[in-house]
Amino acid sequence: MTWLTWRQHRAEMYTLGLLVAAIAVFLLAVGLPLHSLFPNGASQCLGIDVTEACSTAIRRLNEEHGYASKMLNLFSLVPFLIGAFFGAPLVAREMEAGTWQFAWTQSVPRMRWLAVKLGALGLAAALFAGIFAAVVTWYRQPMDVLDGRFGADAFDVEGLAPAGYALFAFAVATAAGAVLRRSLPALAVALGAFLAVRVFVGGWLRPNYQEPQRLVELVAAGDPADPGNPRMSTGSAADWTIATGYLDSSGRPLSLYDAVTMYSAAEKEGVKFSAYLHERGVQQWVEYQPTGRFWTFQLAETAIFVGLAAALLAFVVWRFKRRVF
Amino acid sequence: MTATEYALRTDGLGKRYRKVWALRDCSLAVPAGRVTALVGPNGAGKSTFLRLVVGLLAPTTGSVEVLGESPATNTPQVLSRIGFLAQDHPLYKHFTVAELLRLGRSCNPRFDQGLAERRLAQLEIPLDRKAGALSGGQQAQVALALALAKRPDLLVLDEPMASLDPVARLEFLQALMGAVAADGMTVLFSSHVVPELERVCDHLIVLNHSRVTLAGDIDSLVDEHRLLVGPRTTGDLGRAGTVVEATHSERHTTLLVRDGGLPAAPGWQASPVGLEDLVLAYLRRPARNDVELAEVSA
Repeated sequence: MTWLTWRQHRAEMYTLGLLVAAIAVFLLAVGLPLHSLFPNGASQCLGIDVTEACSTAIRRLNEEHGYASKMLNLFSLVPFLIGAFFGAPLVAREMEAGTWQFAWTQSVPRMRWLAVKLGALGLAAALFAGIFAAVVTWYRQPMDVLDGRFGADAFDVEGLAPAGYALFAFAVATAAGAVLRRSLPALAVALGAFLAVRVFVGGWLRPNYQEPQRLVELVAAGDPADPGNPRMSTGSAADWTIATGYLDSSGRPLSLYDAVTMYSAAEKEGVKFSAYLHERGVQQWVEYQPTGRFWTFQLAETAIFVGLAAALLAFVVWRFKRRVF
Repeated sequence: MTATEYALRTDGLGKRYRKVWALRDCSLAVPAGRVTALVGPNGAGKSTFLRLVVGLLAPTTGSVEVLGESPATNTPQVLSRIGFLAQDHPLYKHFTVAELLRLGRSCNPRFDQGLAERRLAQLEIPLDRKAGALSGGQQAQVALALALAKRPDLLVLDEPMASLDPVARLEFLQALMGAVAADGMTVLFSSHVVPELERVCDHLIVLNHSRVTLAGDIDSLVDEHRLLVGPRTTGDLGRAGTVVEATHSERHTTLLVRDGGLPAAPGWQASPVGLEDLVLAYLRRPARNDVELAEVSA
């Protein structure tokens, strides 16, 4: 059974292994010069007062490695590729070729057949995605220190989450293949489901894994201020700002209309907007997730996707038990 | 006969896909050591029946027992005793023949690699060729060799020769019958071609409109049926035993009856019926109602 699993899926193993290896080699090649910009570590270059060397390094980082963010956003599909290419053919290819009748009439009970395949290929998918994430995590380390790791170009491709995404893609593609009995439509359905769930979890659930922290302070006369949202700092660029806003002196939230009205009033009086707000005792607030919560959030995100994967695989097992084929 | 002397026994076996019954009320027993043909038109439920027998499907109603065990349990023990050759003999096309043998060895404790290799060597099928590069007849032979190497007690074949050319059919049949003669296993295969049955089978199951309409040893079935020819009659035909089929010409009526050889009524001439005509008569019958079926299976 082990040999059969290897023989049947070695093409996927080779292809996906090659993909991960190519990404790793590329990131290593562009990552070494990136890391060499910060010989003493990027944490030396935090804050407003940085050395000449640091500001040069940060400038060069932006100039020479500015493509990193876009590239890493594209890489967020890699866990899908890894999981779905293992999952989609698992059941569907047997259906397409009729070989399920051959495979499940050997002396291996079909539940064992399924358990070996799900176990081996699920593990391979998680492993490949884990290696991918480890390389990306290493590559992004200086940027993580400077800009934080909560952005989509960091959180979605670093740490544990990609392994969870790959398992979810594996499970949803396997389930779609078992229902549709064809590999390609299963792949398409899996992609749609994967994107929908990723967008929903990333956009709606992730900011709420923990109650955000909140800072409130009087607007200072010299603060940079926009009528829309105060550009209030949490003290660290690595924190994840969820929302910002203004309160009047009594603590009542100011609407955008209120803020714009005040902005035009300040213009009419010819004073700086922030000074105008300061005079009237307006406060600004920010809700954010501190950078130290990264691993807690990674665990929560991974747990969600592993949980969904487990539910989908349980559905596949149930279908096998019912013997609907 | 004790339970284990039957290679196959079904009781009230039925399978429904959503709202459509592919097979219903199927109760029969096939003694061990028989070569049984399962005959029926396309869509009669033959594949469903065979998949129930090998445990690929679970019954909706009733039970099926193979060699005293239920194939639906899907245990390694019961699986290892059943060899199955599905329609169009599906194989992993990108596997070489040698890899298919390795698959058989790694998935079957009783796998007889030497037997499979000898068979394939006799047929001059190269082991290093990919299965997809073999001719249809060769693929069927490889699939048969794999099924036989399991050393099954029951070998089930679903339309094994449907996609083969006449020469390959003959070779396949020879290989199959040679193996049966050597091993004495029970064989159950489906077919919609009647003439080739008589040479190789000693037991027959006719499946039509999702029901078993005839089942038994071929010799006794042929003995129990006969043709009666007499004056044209369109009225009460029930007297002369169970009328399977009545055909009328202008002046004569021909009845195929299952009466176990009762003396013919005056004015009627009895003659034996051939297997092919017998099977065709059962295949031509319209869908039966439940009362009639109960009569036949009783």
